[in-house]
Amino acid sequence: MSDVISRILVYIDGTEESVTAAEYAVCLAKSCNAALYALYVVNTRALQELLRARIFIESEEQEYARDLEADAERYLNHATELASARDVPLIKRKVEGSVLTEIKKAVRELEIDTLVIGALSRVQSRRDELYNEVERAVRSVDCTVIIAKDEERIWSLYEDL
Amino acid sequence: MAIADMLFPDNVKAPLEKTDKNDIILELLALLYDSGRISDLDKAFEAVRKREDQGSTGLGEGIAVPHAKTDLVASLTLALGVAPQGVDFDSLDGKPTRVFFLLLAPPDQSGPHVEALSEVAKISRSASFMRLLCSARSPEEVLDLFVD
Repeated sequence: MSDVISRILVYIDGTEESVTAAEYAVCLAKSCNAALYALYVVNTRALQELLRARIFIESEEQEYARDLEADAERYLNHATELASARDVPLIKRKVEGSVLTEIKKAVRELEIDTLVIGALSRVQSRRDELYNEVERAVRSVDCTVIIAKDEERIWSLYEDL
Repeated sequence: MAIADMLFPDNVKAPLEKTDKNDIILELLALLYDSGRISDLDKAFEAVRKREDQGSTGLGEGIAVPHAKTDLVASLTLALGVAPQGVDFDSLDGKPTRVFFLLLAPPDQSGPHVEALSEVAKISRSASFMRLLCSARSPEEVLDLFVD
């Protein structure tokens, strides 16, 4: 199993689903003795789009940029704590840019063989396929992707580790 | 979280009844209050108005995105309304606004908030989808447009 899964990247975006993904990634890293990385993308591309679309005013864009930076620290630290509590080393990675681009870049640069993400939206539409960057990453990234579902079961797995 | 995940029959209203900017905001917030998503209508209105006072969220092309951060909600919360008659929302192009996405987010969930607003921005760029939205005459018709 250690050859099958040896370098895991969990994508964290501040959602409950991504926290569940982090829990699952810790379980997987522990059972496979795999290296574990956590990635948070400060979505500066979205902020710029919102400014261009005039949904954000300039002061708002700056305020949300600071908020996203703070969120990144908070959620990456939480992932670190989850891992540390189970004696699993975790390397944090915080980057700025577009979610899709940065996920693919991290997978490539860190030589990731398994990407773990949180559950995707239940409702599917053609729009999601075009617009949701995490879903686009699932389709285009060059590694195995695990979508962590069943929050209760995963928490139970984590607690039993 | 996708916009479609946040839409239910009780937080969508079509057609909206009011014709004044503040009344439209209150009408949308009333959806959230009546459905138990917020507990304080006045505080929510104050948060949204505070943002509007910094600059109208009427983007033009018939769409407005009033939004605010507030501790009244524990997660991203949306109300969507369609006013076929058009409302003066001080929009950037001076034209009446027909579609309203009102978003409230807790202060510590900026990531999902930004994602949701980005999706609305992309929706607003689709003239055909906007036309369909503007012509929706019931919450069910609106919901059907987001699930295909």
